[in-house]
Amino acid sequence: MLTGILIMGGLGAVCGLGLALASKIFYVYVDPKIEAVSAALPGANCGGCGFAGCGANAEAIVAGKSTASSCVAGGPDVAADIARILGVSLEAKEPDFARPGCTYGYQDADRKFIYEGIMDCRAAALLHGGSKVCPIGCLGLGTCARACPFGALSMGPDNLPVVNTDKCTGCGTCERVCPKHIITLTSGTRKIEREYKTDECTAPCQRACPAGIEIPIYISKIKEGDFTGALRVIKQTNPLPLVCGRICVHPCEDECRRNMVDEPVAINYLKRFAADYEMQSGSRVQIPLAPPSGKKVAVVGGGAEGLTASYFLNRMGHDVTLFEGSLRLGGLLRTGIAENRLPQKVLDYEIDGILEAGVEAKMGQRLGRDFTIASLLRNGFRTVLVAVGGWDTQMSAADRDKVMPGVRLLLDFIMKGQAGTAAGKNVMILGGGAASFNAALASKENGASSVHMVFRGSGPESSAPRERIEAAEAAGIKLHFNRAVTRIMGQEDSLTHVEIARISSEGTADKLGDLLAVDLLLVGAGRFPELIYVPRETEGDDQTKDTVNWQSLPPYASPFASQDIGIFRPGEAVGDYKAVVEAIGAGRRAAVSVNRFLTGRDIEPPINMVRKGMDILNVRELQPLENIPRAKMPELKDAERRENPNAEIELGLTEEQAKAEASRCLKCGLICYRRMEGSRQPS
Amino acid sequence: MGDYILLFISCIFVNNILLMQYLGNCPFLGTSKRMETAVGMGMAVIFVLVMAGAITWVTEYFVLKPFGYEFLRTMSFILVIAALVQFVELFLKKSIPALYAGLGIFLPLITTNCAVMGVCLINIKEEYSFIECLVSSFSYAAGFGLALILFAGVRERILLARVPKPLQDTSIGLVTAGMMSLAFFAFKGMA
Repeated sequence: MLTGILIMGGLGAVCGLGLALASKIFYVYVDPKIEAVSAALPGANCGGCGFAGCGANAEAIVAGKSTASSCVAGGPDVAADIARILGVSLEAKEPDFARPGCTYGYQDADRKFIYEGIMDCRAAALLHGGSKVCPIGCLGLGTCARACPFGALSMGPDNLPVVNTDKCTGCGTCERVCPKHIITLTSGTRKIEREYKTDECTAPCQRACPAGIEIPIYISKIKEGDFTGALRVIKQTNPLPLVCGRICVHPCEDECRRNMVDEPVAINYLKRFAADYEMQSGSRVQIPLAPPSGKKVAVVGGGAEGLTASYFLNRMGHDVTLFEGSLRLGGLLRTGIAENRLPQKVLDYEIDGILEAGVEAKMGQRLGRDFTIASLLRNGFRTVLVAVGGWDTQMSAADRDKVMPGVRLLLDFIMKGQAGTAAGKNVMILGGGAASFNAALASKENGASSVHMVFRGSGPESSAPRERIEAAEAAGIKLHFNRAVTRIMGQEDSLTHVEIARISSEGTADKLGDLLAVDLLLVGAGRFPELIYVPRETEGDDQTKDTVNWQSLPPYASPFASQDIGIFRPGEAVGDYKAVVEAIGAGRRAAVSVNRFLTGRDIEPPINMVRKGMDILNVRELQPLENIPRAKMPELKDAERRENPNAEIELGLTEEQAKAEASRCLKCGLICYRRMEGSRQPS
Repeated sequence: MGDYILLFISCIFVNNILLMQYLGNCPFLGTSKRMETAVGMGMAVIFVLVMAGAITWVTEYFVLKPFGYEFLRTMSFILVIAALVQFVELFLKKSIPALYAGLGIFLPLITTNCAVMGVCLINIKEEYSFIECLVSSFSYAAGFGLALILFAGVRERILLARVPKPLQDTSIGLVTAGMMSLAFFAFKGMA
């Protein structure tokens, strides 16, 4: 009896002591805030926040990786509780909502077989990826609608999910259950940030659009008579539809599938029609505005690109100030296009729309004369986006080297015989033409302390003639092959370092590059690439309040770029932009890059972005279609043109014309398109 | 060596702790809805059971048996296993945070798991040596994990099917478990 008590007591005592000791020895500090936040979260572990359960999100919130308002299930009350625990003010969260991404239900699409198994998309997808020929098509069995905890999803008459955006909370349950990843969450910001991806249904026209407009969607809205809805779709990626609708070179129309039958849909005329409709109606259409981020950003350059970037940065919730050197906004649109193609009052209306949205514009403020990048960064701007485009800005400035700290145009440097200014400097020259070598040798002769030449080519053989390379090496010039410039850094108004990284065999730049001391960078391009200047934190104590250290990051390359690594990419800077639509696309991508930087993300496009020259599922021929002639643009009569040479020549489609033209659109997807009655392939 | 292999096979298949001995049905139904949790639980059981087998063997032969107090076996084993799991949890949290992140939430579930307790008692009943005890503990736990993962695979599919209302969730789970158990009866022929 006594032994029994002793045995159990002894065991208990040993275990108890052992645990007591262990809890001391193995003590791990847990921030009490994490537990408090954990307790405030609903504990449903739904994963709507993007973390593996409430515990993980609590840790992320306290660590600053997630926000107080990240809990979708808890709503504003929980967000307020957490904000109180953390002692922060609540940042408003931009609402998310679900967006289905397939336009043809299974009854309208080509099918491989008839599915009669378990009526659930997840089960159907297990059999050859579902019955549709299209690998990313909606299977239409309503799994998402059944999974929606808020009753916001239903299956429409065409067997595609329909979202009730009033009920949708953006929890993402549908996104997680959909085996084809067709229904995804989106938000105002994500719509602006959108790049077409290989696992998305896209039409040939929209893939060809440099601005990335969702062409089939806006055309179908015009067909339905929802003209402002159509314009809203356009403005999602193009804030200058009045301008673009008049002068766009419309590469989309070259890709239109109607080319295989008759003539392409007059996509650009339709865009102009929607934009004109807004101007004539007098009420402005704006895309949704994200809650204010409280971050000040600067955009330099008031041309098409700067205006576009400013508008989208404003819509993404930032406090934007636009700096323009001349006294009027519009850049080349203002000075380079004839009045009878783009009337000034149309351009004014367009620009007013951007200013009305909340962009503050400062006219007559020239970079290098009235302000510098360092002065902007010092005055509270978190980023400075330079979108000055052509070199005219720099060429016209009296004191050229102050415009872009330490970056000069190679040609200007040679033509003006300024090699003398290289004395005592560390010079870097990009590219391998004869002019580059001449500039390098001249700099060296004039006493530059070091001269570097950077080539993208893999070796001396593929970069320049042998005798030139030998001569350069003999002169003591350092040659770097197979390298790309990935970052430039500076202090105050001068350049200090350039980072060059090795280009790997896969065509990507190494993460860590070599930092070279450079204070004069000569580029052989005709156009200045848009760059984002941001403050740079330096190691040690040399960061005093008075000096501004900065670095510049390039926006991510567009899907049309032939090379996408580093800054000063060949191909992008050969000439001026071919068309306003490319400047608009570049402006949006620059704005997205700034937003990605400000929200702590890498400046990169989605991995599976549709790029130029990629093999995308497509159709080679169309089934018989009725020939419908393309709409003719009504034009000003000859007599009136003579009388008033400045009057706009193209008058714009009428409402009837626009609707008829819109109904010519085949509303294409990857392989689907609108067929003639009864001509669908038997499945 | 041959004996150990035989023991290994028989513990996993012939005497599967879940499907043949019907121990540990609570986590079997509870953690089998998703494959990820099933794998995590299976790993945690293997981890804990090997240690529990060892420590209860020591308790039996160095504490209870010398004093002739084997009737306190169940009670003392519960105490020892509970303390062990607590200790392991503390240890992992400090020393191997990566493993803790993977197994952490399953460890407290195992504290009072009848499969763990059952295997420890079987080890003593069969009068296994220490090595045999370790092999059998590991094998039973592996059998538990195997059954759990198989069942989770089946259940992920069942989730998609339209099940009549009265049979939904646990009911259909138990029906399925019963059928899996019948299938495992075939291994009896090996014995």
